[in-house]
Amino acid sequence: MSDIGKVRIRVPSSIKTGDVVKVRALVIHPMERIERDAQGKIIDRKYNFIDKVTVTYLGKPVLSFDTTQSISENPFFSFAFKATDPGTLKIVFSDTSGGKYEGTADIKFS
Amino acid sequence: MASDRMTTPREGVTRRAVVGGLSALGAAAVVGTLAIPREAAAQALGMQESVEAAMKRVFGGRPIKDGSALIKLDIPLIAENGAVVPVSVEVNSPMTAVNYVKHVYVVADKNRIPIVTRVAFTPQAGQAYMGANIRLGETGDVRAIVEQSDGTLLQTKREVKVTVGGCGG
Repeated sequence: MSDIGKVRIRVPSSIKTGDVVKVRALVIHPMERIERDAQGKIIDRKYNFIDKVTVTYLGKPVLSFDTTQSISENPFFSFAFKATDPGTLKIVFSDTSGGKYEGTADIKFS
Repeated sequence: MASDRMTTPREGVTRRAVVGGLSALGAAAVVGTLAIPREAAAQALGMQESVEAAMKRVFGGRPIKDGSALIKLDIPLIAENGAVVPVSVEVNSPMTAVNYVKHVYVVADKNRIPIVTRVAFTPQAGQAYMGANIRLGETGDVRAIVEQSDGTLLQTKREVKVTVGGCGG
């Protein structure tokens, strides 16, 4: 899948200074679930899933998700942050295979 | 004498074998100590266990109060497809530098991996709100557990009926 790691971020179209803004972010990722053989035993291998999502705004951490395989395929996350200054909102998804997928959104005030 | 001669070489071989074995063990131990914490760190949150074991491991038997007045857990009552269940948690609590919501845990009781996600907030977030799409294996309770900066634990839960499970194997 060449689509792995595509990040889409949605922020509201109009933001005012000091608003608490809700953001939705989506990443394309298989989030492999644990497989079992015919006897029901877990197949022991390294499963590739996102285990960390970090959100930074103006270079400062806002929040982070520690996730497990109980999160859906092509996961979607939403969160809030306080928009104080125009700048960049950056989201980094890291998976267990060492992949890092980044998405940024410019926060502008209207 | 003959028996002496018989034992001495055998002893030598044994000692060498022992020494070799020991150094191999030592190497294995070094590799082991390097490899195990990494693996453990990767598995720390999402382990295959019962929900009781998970709660005990993560919260260490600390009392959890009822927080249904403060926590808004939004999840469908009936999930037709267990592979994608939208859930959101909103905590009605101020986010100041001294008193804020530190963590929000989402726990699905019947999942093989009960701890779904842990969200760590900073006061910068302005509001303790999180949403995600989660998997549910079968019908069961879904809980939202909030840990405040002073260590207080609050929880609210709701039963979700799952028509088709989404955790596979």
